Amino acid sequence: MTVVETLLVFVVAPLAVYVFFWAVTYLPGGRQRQGVRYKPGQAWEHEPVWYEPQPENAPTHAAGEGDTQAVGSSLYGETAAIGAGHGSGHGPGHGVSADGHGPIGSSVIAGTRGATAVSAGTPVPSAGGPLGGARGTW
Amino acid sequence: MTRVLDAEPHDTGTVDTAPTRADQGYDTVFSYRELARLDEALTMSSRETGLRFTLYIGDLGPKTRIRAEELHAHGGDPVDSVLLAVSPGQRVIEVVTGASAARRLPDRACALAVLSMTNSFAAGDLVGGIVNGLRQLSDQAGHPHGARRH
Repeated sequence: MTVVETLLVFVVAPLAVYVFFWAVTYLPGGRQRQGVRYKPGQAWEHEPVWYEPQPENAPTHAAGEGDTQAVGSSLYGETAAIGAGHGSGHGPGHGVSADGHGPIGSSVIAGTRGATAVSAGTPVPSAGGPLGGARGTW
Repeated sequence: MTRVLDAEPHDTGTVDTAPTRADQGYDTVFSYRELARLDEALTMSSRETGLRFTLYIGDLGPKTRIRAEELHAHGGDPVDSVLLAVSPGQRVIEVVTGASAARRLPDRACALAVLSMTNSFAAGDLVGGIVNGLRQLSDQAGHPHGARRH
């Protein structure tokens, strides 16, 4: 074995292995993570969002009474006045969208089916007894 | 040959449908997979218990409890609903239960769920903490009386 061969085998080859794994680990361009990576203590500068459960009869809503009959509206119709009254309503647009421009701004999400945004409007006084719950910090 | 038409984009959303548009202003806080987990957790816990679990993620202002209670009162069906209000920037979570929901979810159970959630949040796992907390809360609440379906 010459000196060059020794160096190649015992120095350059192990270094190449190390460099390869370092590059695979730290260089960008691999699998990109979608969404934000939350670290405790970082600022949260996103629009507030409010997720609701899906209504039980969501996909079976057919156009009917109370739906808009506008030309170009979808096959299933759209609930005419979502914000007017029926909060726990029926149909695809079951979100309670009061005026749209509340103090926290109208939150807009979607993207997946089901996770529905509710835009918070002006607060209304609570009705129906005391509230319970808990709070925590981390 | 064909060329792109000069057309102004126009928005066909009505007053009611515009807030749920998906193609603009969409803040990608969570990946689709995380959104699917959140959606399933919220939906299944609500169906299991008959309560209405909703989840708010955003700033709660200086008075977090008051703000969370305002939000809870504003959502649909406040008596039967449970609001999880998470403010990651302030490192605060508030759980608000309505008057009827509080009978099935006592404050001690909420505090226990909050404890497990804050553990996950402190480790940087927002979605996992929320999903586990929802599981705990719905386990505690159980099925609605006389509506056991499975």
